[in-house]
Amino acid sequence: MISLRAIVKRFRDGERELVVLDHLDLEVRDRELVAVVGPSGSGKSTLLYVAGGLDADFEGEAVVAGRRLSDLDPRQRAAFRNQAVGFVFQSFNLLPALPAVENVMLPGLFAPPGAPTLSLGGLRARALEALSRVGLGDKAARLPARLSGGERQRVAIARALLARPGLLLADEPTGNLDTASGEGVIRLFQEMVADGMTVLVVTHEERVSSVAGRVLHLEQGRLR
Amino acid sequence: MRARGLVHLASLNLRADRRGALVNAAAACVGAAALVFFVALGMGVGQAARRMFPGEARLVEVIPAAVSLGGALGGGQLDDGAVARLGALPGVEAAWRKLSLRVPIAASRPPEGVKMNWPQSFTVQVPVVGVEPGMLEQDLAKGQAFADPAPGGAVPVMASRRLLEVYNKTIAPAWNLRRLPPGLDLVGIQFPVQVGFSIIPQKTEDRVYEARLALAGLSDRVPLYQLAVPVETVRRLHQEYGKPDQGYTGVTLLARRPDDVPGIAAAVRRMGFTVDEGDRALAERVGLAITVVAGALSLLALLMTALAALAIAQSLSASVRGRTREIAILQALGATAGDVRAIVLAEAALLGLGGGIAGVALARLAALGADRAALRWLPDFPFRPETFFTFPPWVYLLGAGVSALAALLGALAPAAAAARVDPARNVS
Repeated sequence: MISLRAIVKRFRDGERELVVLDHLDLEVRDRELVAVVGPSGSGKSTLLYVAGGLDADFEGEAVVAGRRLSDLDPRQRAAFRNQAVGFVFQSFNLLPALPAVENVMLPGLFAPPGAPTLSLGGLRARALEALSRVGLGDKAARLPARLSGGERQRVAIARALLARPGLLLADEPTGNLDTASGEGVIRLFQEMVADGMTVLVVTHEERVSSVAGRVLHLEQGRLR
Repeated sequence: MRARGLVHLASLNLRADRRGALVNAAAACVGAAALVFFVALGMGVGQAARRMFPGEARLVEVIPAAVSLGGALGGGQLDDGAVARLGALPGVEAAWRKLSLRVPIAASRPPEGVKMNWPQSFTVQVPVVGVEPGMLEQDLAKGQAFADPAPGGAVPVMASRRLLEVYNKTIAPAWNLRRLPPGLDLVGIQFPVQVGFSIIPQKTEDRVYEARLALAGLSDRVPLYQLAVPVETVRRLHQEYGKPDQGYTGVTLLARRPDDVPGIAAAVRRMGFTVDEGDRALAERVGLAITVVAGALSLLALLMTALAALAIAQSLSASVRGRTREIAILQALGATAGDVRAIVLAEAALLGLGGGIAGVALARLAALGADRAALRWLPDFPFRPETFFTFPPWVYLLGAGVSALAALLGALAPAAAAARVDPARNVS
């Protein structure tokens, strides 16, 4: 599902150049739940953004969900993000002005040409189905501000699942959640893997890494 | 991204910032309202002015030169030979002779069958001009004839449409007379006159007799303060009263096309005659003045629309800066740079269109208010229109369209800025 080879990612801070990923290699098979752990600032999020096609400015070879990312133009990269991967962020990244169901519908509005397109009604039905799958079918009309942290993260997961991607990339998904909510999210990840998805999660929490099939440590720009 | 999804998302974004959206739409509304109001006012006043000064673009009025050396250098009298030469000029479709009656005619009794409080011993001098029937046949009322009658018969006359309006709005109120009914209701009425009688005693002829005039129609081609009779009637009266032939008072030329008029006028002047541009020049001056004022006001309104677009642009720029993370989230979910640009442009278009439609409605309301105020506060005057505004369908499209277009133009820079947001740097 994920094959990263000799990935180098540099950031420039004025005169100084910072190498965050330094010839990093990563292989993740289908239906695997892999956790990447490491201290803050070690480049965990950057690794996810590279693998998810959010950051195209890197060296090395990245093949994700059967696509060589360096070959994709910006439009194809957007289609890749829309169809092949789902993102879950630590701070949920829901649009605060939209009810839960409208947030979940968002990826469907950006379906690329050639992808199956639904009417707004069909899209809403699918979003409600995704919300039901994460146990929030009865809170679809609520604004994010009226949901608990755990509920917001489940809405974000429902949104990531809308286009039925094969890969979920989660960036500290339990970082802002209490123990009970965090465990709920972890259970969801396990269910998704059981259903055939691949999950790559970056975290610094033991409770997440303990359920992963593999745990990789990111140190000095490389995975060990 | 499909159009329905785009509009859906843009309207959700606007709903999320209702206050900002309302302020922006209000700015667009004021610009569009001002534009529609002034354009409609310009057209309405223009229409009223054309009723007041109905200059016909194809007519050329020829009169003898004020100073002439007789026929030696051309010009001189407008006789039948001159009329034939004028009629043969390139671009001339018809030449109609006009002959002012030099025998005084006065009316000292009201028209028969019309109640109008005619004051006792009130006498009106009636200026009369003879014209050829062809000139007025388009305005002749159905069933009426315009030819010199048999002896003792009523003489057909045609009056200016404007004369009736001037009478009803100024003469009747000033003299406390009754107003006359609409023009066509008056067709066929007869009024007794005294041929040869003048209110200036020295000008009264030796022989005065009673005759009747019958209204055969109303026409803008009849001079405002004259009645038109068949030119043969004037010739007959001149013979009866021994008036020597002094040539025609004027000739009206009908050009084939309005574009032919300047060439005809130049040829007429070369022949030594004068082109009377009094009415036409007045109509053109009034039309020009209205066009200039309406144009200036419309430009002002366009400026207001442009300012509204700037306000929307500024507001959208601030909104894009404030929504950088949201834009990055949309990109993470699959939005392309084009999608992001389209969302911002759609928001602007919705604001502009919504404001424009509201502006059109506001302009109609303002026009209604202005008309009511004019009806209440302005004194009645000739040709005062029922409304000072004209709203053809394209004015509505103009208001809404210009507003939407201005908002779209204003949104180009913010949309481009939104499309440049780097998702990796801004998503968390």
